[in-house]
Amino acid sequence: MKVSFNWLREYVDIDLAPDELGENLTMAGFEVESISKVDANLNNVVVGKIVSLKPHPNADKLSLCQVSTGGHLYSVVCGAANMISGGYVALALEGALLPNGVKIKNTRIRGELSQGMMCSEEELKIGRDSKGILILQDDGLELGKGIASALNLEDYIFEINITPNRPDCLSIIGIAREIASITGKILKIPKIEFREGNEKIDKLTSVEIHDPELCPRYSASLITDVTIGLSPFWMRRRLESAGIRPISNVVDVTNYVLMEFGQPLHAFDFDLLSERRIVVQRADDGDVFTSLDGMERPLFSDTLMICDGEKPVAIGGIMGGLNSEVSEDTSNVLIESAYFNPTNIRKTSKKLGLQTEASYRFERGVDYGGVIRALNRATQLVLDFCGGKAAKGVVDQYPSPIFPEEIPLSINKANKILGTSLKKGKVKRYLKSIELDVKDLDKDKVIVKIPSFRMDLHREIDLIEEVARLDGYNNIPTTTPVVRVKTASKNPVQVLQDKAKDILASMGYYEVVNYSFISPLSVVLLNLNAEHPYKRFISIKNPLREDQSIMRTTLIPGLLNTMKTNVYNKNLNLKLFELGTVFYSVKEKELPREKKMLSALATGLRYGESWSFPGEGIDFYDIKGSLENLFEGLNIMNFNFLSTTDIPYLHHGKSSIIMVDNTEIGTVGEVHSAVLEGY
Amino acid sequence: MRGDFRSKEELERLFAEALEKLKSAVEERQVAEIKTEFLGKKGKITALLRGLVNISQEQRPVIGRLANEVKVSLEEKIKESLAGIRERKRKEDLLHESLDITLPGRRVPIGRKHPITEVCNEIIGIFLGLGFQISEGPEVELDYYNFEALNIPKDHPARDMHDTFYISDEVLLRTHTSPVQIRVMEKQSPPIQIIAPGKAFRCDSDVSHTPMFHQVEGLMVGNNITFGDLKGILTIFVHQMFGDKTRLRFRPSFFPFTEPSAEVDMQCVICRGKGCRVCSFSGWLEILGSGMVDPEVFKIVGYNPNEITGFAFGLGIERVAMLKYGINDIRMFFENDMRFLGQF
Repeated sequence: MKVSFNWLREYVDIDLAPDELGENLTMAGFEVESISKVDANLNNVVVGKIVSLKPHPNADKLSLCQVSTGGHLYSVVCGAANMISGGYVALALEGALLPNGVKIKNTRIRGELSQGMMCSEEELKIGRDSKGILILQDDGLELGKGIASALNLEDYIFEINITPNRPDCLSIIGIAREIASITGKILKIPKIEFREGNEKIDKLTSVEIHDPELCPRYSASLITDVTIGLSPFWMRRRLESAGIRPISNVVDVTNYVLMEFGQPLHAFDFDLLSERRIVVQRADDGDVFTSLDGMERPLFSDTLMICDGEKPVAIGGIMGGLNSEVSEDTSNVLIESAYFNPTNIRKTSKKLGLQTEASYRFERGVDYGGVIRALNRATQLVLDFCGGKAAKGVVDQYPSPIFPEEIPLSINKANKILGTSLKKGKVKRYLKSIELDVKDLDKDKVIVKIPSFRMDLHREIDLIEEVARLDGYNNIPTTTPVVRVKTASKNPVQVLQDKAKDILASMGYYEVVNYSFISPLSVVLLNLNAEHPYKRFISIKNPLREDQSIMRTTLIPGLLNTMKTNVYNKNLNLKLFELGTVFYSVKEKELPREKKMLSALATGLRYGESWSFPGEGIDFYDIKGSLENLFEGLNIMNFNFLSTTDIPYLHHGKSSIIMVDNTEIGTVGEVHSAVLEGY
Repeated sequence: MRGDFRSKEELERLFAEALEKLKSAVEERQVAEIKTEFLGKKGKITALLRGLVNISQEQRPVIGRLANEVKVSLEEKIKESLAGIRERKRKEDLLHESLDITLPGRRVPIGRKHPITEVCNEIIGIFLGLGFQISEGPEVELDYYNFEALNIPKDHPARDMHDTFYISDEVLLRTHTSPVQIRVMEKQSPPIQIIAPGKAFRCDSDVSHTPMFHQVEGLMVGNNITFGDLKGILTIFVHQMFGDKTRLRFRPSFFPFTEPSAEVDMQCVICRGKGCRVCSFSGWLEILGSGMVDPEVFKIVGYNPNEITGFAFGLGIERVAMLKYGINDIRMFFENDMRFLGQF
């Protein structure tokens, strides 16, 4: 997850430098994979205020502005349409070099002096908006101040790997909570206050949950008469820092709260909801629904749909629908904040092949207790930035409330598993630092009440892990186990394998390791009859490539392939072997029979290129000799070679069956030219 | 009596003559000729000795003794002369008989074991030394052993961590060597101390991932095994593998089958912790995943989690080999190019 350093600092005071913070997070279990600095080299771009503006005398589309930087007044000719007198702007003065390469100079435009340029977000490369100049929020901006520091443009983006057990940290506040615990600071949750209208929400809309198992909680708020537009610069910038594309103020607010609290929200155009109500129910097999991204999606009987009075309007917890999307014309919005069954969201997401920021969080488990807080936060921000009026209260369907778990923890047990000697007081302090409610149970035990945002804590061992994590793994004493001494050695088969490899290597053979999957074509090339065991292979349902789609029944294709690659690379004199597993299908749905096999291949000159040996090519007797040496080296004496003419992939006149103690154990011979042609 | 003197003089003269000739002899053949000339069956001294029958009775022993002395002495001189000549000859020969020793030796080429085998054997060696037995399990596994028995139910988000090749709904290519843990615990009761080296598969392919790779799984289960012990065993392993001075750190992580779970980082072997490209300038390299066996897993195999504790770990052999040999592309292990294989 991408986390902005500046954004974090809104919820917790951070005295650490970004790299120190990164180190601390990593050691607390939140692996920081990278920290990238967001540079804003915007020298000579300062905060200015438009004090007056009038039309340019010689040009219809240009304006003449007087812009103040506190101490100075500058004349600026500007062609944008969104300027307002009194507006705060980013003013690039003479000498400024913009990220797009434009150099600012004092100049005359159609006869009028222009001492700089008012910039758009796009020109400063701090946003995507290029329609007009950037008008800044006048919240305590200091005139003349460099724009980078005035707007907090310098930032560090942490890329943090959040493990699947910690969905609470898929949010800025979640991470801030951990930082507060690590550094001993206080977590500052934003104050949520707004003015409600007089009309009660129950009078305006309703929510029905038909399947509380899949949707244990569904809440909604309603805001009327909103004005859809661009969200404020800082909000868009924060969304971008988290990798989310800003869309419009209402949608941006829902995404902002998603990132802030980790609660996915959805905004519906209330006027597009038939009967102005919400019904949460399963789809029918075979239904089709067009999601926000314009894709038609087949539905199943276990797909949970958010519906209005007559039709589905969203795939619950995954994606909204095109038919109820907030658009430029929207004036009334219903905001959804819900808790969905994690397993079902995951199943649906898999079935639909659709993973979203929302589904990613719901399938891991969101804070069922934080549903209303996030909803209120969204209502607050919509009122702040989109205007409108909030209905009184919220709808909150929560038929069987989930109660916080209480888990006993034995300090002795913790110490026994960890190998530590932690005192009860310390353990309690650790647990309290991450907002767990801890009470004494007896001399050894405490009882821990789990807050709703920690869906991962169910068992004593989960708490022991938290204790270890907060104590710091590196503070746990390093010991060696006390065990009964016993000897360990390789078993005879392992010893035999080692020995065979050593003997072959000493005879000039190189060990190769090939993939255990091969191409089905390579089996066809061996020209086998229908009953040949090499044809009893198993296939991979989802191979990466067609030529890696069946499990090998023989090592021969792998060796031939290795030969091919090497010959292609001009390594012409080869002695190769592989010792590895092959797989024979037994019965469908059962494990195949696995067998260890040894294969070797030799080609090219017997002794390689050498000034002193004759350049003789390898023949049947070389590899037969290697086998004889191998057998003798392994103390296998009772071997012999039988003549044969029916090994389909070997030369009929130059092949043999290898017998040991009158049992056939393998074949040896010159590879059939028809097989070689295939490579 | 005169004959007596003559014989004596004659002896001495012959002796002197022989010595003179020996002095000028430069080849073994000449010495052999001199030997024949004086001491041979028909040699001059032999002939003289044969003539001793004409000498008086009383002088016979005197002359005889003298003759014998001359003979022994001459044989001695001949030996010395021969030795001298041989020595001279050897020196001359050595001077003339030199080879171009810069030519390559006449060798029958030798092969090599694969680097994965070499590294795997080194790892196995360390754990055998610590009392771990080797176990093996099937590479094509049941979903049950690969996931469910390891506390990863169907539809668990942790399955996202494994891109799995499937044979059928219930049969798959194992994504790690961890199923061996379950198979061993199902068959044996504690204490258990095993490692399980082997192949694993995930559908992933790029510079740092191949669809097949090798892991070594480790499991130690008993009555009083602690997290501290896990740290101890893994510290010994890293020190033996990468040197005593290699620092390591343990940090919290998540695996469904262990709790607490720990990722083990070791100091970067390339830059020794200063920060470089290999360690993405962090100074640390991820080397192992580990943790205390989750009580759920013990329940699944029928152990009592209130009595038994233990730890498990898994490490990627390619990863270790890449760090050990400075290889930066994992795919090279499976291309099997001789120029690559010949370097180990």
